[in-house]
Amino acid sequence: MSLTETAQQIRRRDLRIPLGAILLVIALTAPFIGSRYVTHSLIIALIFMLPAHGLNLLVGYTGLLSLAQAAFFGIGAYTAGLLAVTYGTPFYVNVVAAGLAAGAIALPLGIPALRLRSTSFVMCTLGFVIIGQAIAKNWISVTRGDMGLSSIPKPHFALGPLSFTVSGTMGFYYLALAIGALATLAVWAIVRSPAGRNMIAIRENETLAESVGIPTWRYKLIVFMISAVFAGVGGSIYAHYLTVVSPLTFQMYYSTTMLIIVLGGGAGTISGVVFGSLLFVGLTEALRITPELRMIAYGLCLLALVFWFRQGFAPLINRFWNAIGGAK
Amino acid sequence: MTGLPILEIKNLRKSYGAVKAVNDVSIHINRGEIAGMIGPNGSGKSTFFDCSTGLAKPDTGTVKLDGQDITGWSLNRIAREGRMLRSFQKTVVFKSLDVEENLIIAGQMFTFPSLWSTFGLGRMSRQRVSGLRERARELIKMAGLWDVRHQPAGNLSGGQQKLIQFASMLMPDPKLILLDEPMAGINPKIIERVVETILYANKSLGVSFLVIEHNIDVVTSICQRVIVLDQGQKLVEGLPQDIIQDQRVREAYLGG
Ligand SMILES: Nc1ncnc2c1ncn2[C@@H]1O[C@H](COP(=O)(O)OP(=O)(O)O)[C@@H](O)[C@H]1O
Ligand SMILES: [Mg+2]
Repeated sequence: MSLTETAQQIRRRDLRIPLGAILLVIALTAPFIGSRYVTHSLIIALIFMLPAHGLNLLVGYTGLLSLAQAAFFGIGAYTAGLLAVTYGTPFYVNVVAAGLAAGAIALPLGIPALRLRSTSFVMCTLGFVIIGQAIAKNWISVTRGDMGLSSIPKPHFALGPLSFTVSGTMGFYYLALAIGALATLAVWAIVRSPAGRNMIAIRENETLAESVGIPTWRYKLIVFMISAVFAGVGGSIYAHYLTVVSPLTFQMYYSTTMLIIVLGGGAGTISGVVFGSLLFVGLTEALRITPELRMIAYGLCLLALVFWFRQGFAPLINRFWNAIGGAK
Repeated sequence: MTGLPILEIKNLRKSYGAVKAVNDVSIHINRGEIAGMIGPNGSGKSTFFDCSTGLAKPDTGTVKLDGQDITGWSLNRIAREGRMLRSFQKTVVFKSLDVEENLIIAGQMFTFPSLWSTFGLGRMSRQRVSGLRERARELIKMAGLWDVRHQPAGNLSGGQQKLIQFASMLMPDPKLILLDEPMAGINPKIIERVVETILYANKSLGVSFLVIEHNIDVVTSICQRVIVLDQGQKLVEGLPQDIIQDQRVREAYLGG
């Protein structure tokens, strides 16, 4: 009796490894399986996953609702675009600079904003997006206003005599996949660290967290800056992928999309954000061919979220994962 | 040094609008002492705690902890640097986290040398956390929470949550613990357990206490000295047996 049980358990536990392997193979071969349009959608999903990861640290782990991600996304896109167009700096320099710029700007914005109470804080972060767009539109000598920046070069890598340019959709997919994987790993490291535990403590009960010596205000500021770095990096990749940046990069629509990814996928879980990015961005991008349907589908998703998946897909993913893992 | 009080509060005042919640109270707690604080509801006991521990800012007055002026320090700094910890009248725990995680969190800021070091995942960091986990397990055993250590704290009874809160305060080596009605609303078995733990922490770990408590039996059995507040002012202080005989104290409770 116990022998067969053990055997069954072993057989069931094995399922997680093959599934993981299948997912990995799909991720690595996706551009060969799907059409170019699907690959494009996946790239956009991978790019949006970055600000969503950052937002998840803020909303899901620290309990701070923010709509500022699009502002930092835009700052990252413009930083990368301006550097590339004006100084011809290479891709990786632009990505790092965009992350740092967004993180640095988050500091003076975060200091006053984080003093506000939760609802005022949300309104304030919404203001950042609107101000960002106004600056991008009106500071014409630098941003070229509504014309935006164009002919941002595709990523170019030079290593000694070796050099290559990532120009095709397929190449860009692998670049975005690598960056997305690194970002996911980074979030995992932050969440697993003792600081991640302190963030959760702040989310659960700020006063109690204070009373056990956690400097909550400083943590919130640091997480706000980290979330901006993720958004800035995402924006820079967006700029290099589309090769154009316009004031429309600063859009409320982007902030809400990022929020839907986090809440829909499952705030406070990493797999939820990965899944959420693929689902929501993939869906809206894929439905772009029929714009009317697209907004309706988007709305239906929102309704489904509110009525059936209050905690996003994370509980479903967990249940599925545990089920195939043979866990009770 | 032993003659110096661990906590010395002078002329503390705090008003909420027209209400003088704490009106010029001065007290001290001796090193190694368990002091009690009693007084009718609304007499300003919790407000006095809030102002002493940095949760609220006193209007005037000074707070000296172990000879150091800590007036105006934030709640987290007083906890971390002063090692003066407090509980809340309305029990709070990190609800969705299990008992063990609750205690680990309570010890982290005392184990990691800086805020930045808490972002580490290296060997040093892992060692620190496993040290905390060991200590957490000892305290969990002592508090009688071993069987529920992996359950979310929010699922446990009010009494068990009080024990979590109390055990959490023992995670660092505290100098002084302020308890706000630790026995309120819990069953006699757990009251006994809390009393035992207070006495253990006091005798073996050398922790001083200031305890707000309505249960007069508990107060007389564990406190060496009792301070009575009434309408924001200190009415009287003295030995527990003298306090319960005191006419003014009886009037304060009866008069409301
Ligand atoms: N945050 C607050 N805002 C306004 N009034 C308060 C606040 N906290 C306490 N008070 C008032 O201060 C007085 C003392 O309350 P409290 O310190 O809670 O007394 P106790 O703990 O002795 O029951 C009460 O009249 C109460 O209503
Ligand atoms: Mg009270």
